[in-house]
Amino acid sequence: MHRRLVIGTLLLVLALPLAASQFVPQDFDVVARESSFIVRGHVVDTYSAWDDAREVIYTYATVRVTRFFGEATGPDTLVVREVGGTVDGYTQEAIGFPAIRRGEQVVLFLSQWEDSGDYRIHAYNQGKYLVRERAGKEILVEDPVRQGEARLATPDRFHVEPLAETGLTIDEFASMVDEARAGGRTGKFTRVAQ
Amino acid sequence: MKKQTILALAITAIIVAVSAEPAMAYVLLSPRRTWASTPISVRVYTAGNSTINDGDGGVTATVGAIKAWSVVSSATTNQRAVRGSAPSTIELNNNGKICTGSCLAATLTGYYSGSTIYDADVYTNTRYSYTSSRETDGCSGEFDMDGIMVHEVGHVIGIGHSNVAGATMYPTVSSCNINNRTLEADDRAAMTDLY
Repeated sequence: MHRRLVIGTLLLVLALPLAASQFVPQDFDVVARESSFIVRGHVVDTYSAWDDAREVIYTYATVRVTRFFGEATGPDTLVVREVGGTVDGYTQEAIGFPAIRRGEQVVLFLSQWEDSGDYRIHAYNQGKYLVRERAGKEILVEDPVRQGEARLATPDRFHVEPLAETGLTIDEFASMVDEARAGGRTGKFTRVAQ
Repeated sequence: MKKQTILALAITAIIVAVSAEPAMAYVLLSPRRTWASTPISVRVYTAGNSTINDGDGGVTATVGAIKAWSVVSSATTNQRAVRGSAPSTIELNNNGKICTGSCLAATLTGYYSGSTIYDADVYTNTRYSYTSSRETDGCSGEFDMDGIMVHEVGHVIGIGHSNVAGATMYPTVSSCNINNRTLEADDRAAMTDLY
């Protein structure tokens, strides 16, 4: 708990005075409560396609869910739709939005799109973590690579440092989600969106 | 150590410190891409943002603000953004169905496998309150539309987020912060690198 509070306080100090030029940082509790599902999963496949009006390219990611956080549970496989992708050689990107790639081990906060029953990453980059293993424990790290950024297409995008020096274990994360969705405050774990 | 040596070292240190340029840390979009020619035409759709009380919802202010990028020519337009086709269009009253929730503004850009940008449109989340350089009623918890759009047009012309705090392309800004209306050396270096 102490470590969680330290991480939370540190990140709160970093985040509170700021509002990203594209995104307004949300409190972890809000993001957790607003999400329909919070899942740990594996992105097993992705494909991109234009919408019906041929205005936006979306990437559809099939996520095999291995764990639901909080009280809400759902199907073993979810399809997540995100803005951006490549079709017939044409790439459309929403600069700074989260990117989702095949093979990623992720924790995702998911909510439904306003115009359909499809799921999207809730609160943009605040709703996506990469899962890494350290000393036999799964830890969560911030995905440093967003749409339009340099490392998106390079192999080292999977070699990222933990969110904080000590990292946040997936069990600590689970406790925070439970607390937040029960109406409590978790130690104000907040990330700086970009 | 002799006094003269110490003095010389001190003066050298001061000169180095004073003359040191801030580290250039701009980031270009990847893959590197530019528009085919300059000036880059950026249009601001005439339906302004209803939270800005400056006579036209921030349209005129935005047209003026984005001229901070010298490679951009700006004007108003009665045509909404057409995705996938130029000119680049800014919509101050439309989230484009992509910029909702915690998103303030979003740039949707498109390119083929080459290095040419074909389109880039900017959308604004109407759930937040904004101010502009032409608004006279002060600022309280509002986001500066001029600065936001100067930042977004940086993306339009091919620039990513900078690591230099204070640069317009730095990824964060607080409400009522108007610093992004003007470019810093890092922003200009990025533009010069591209064009």
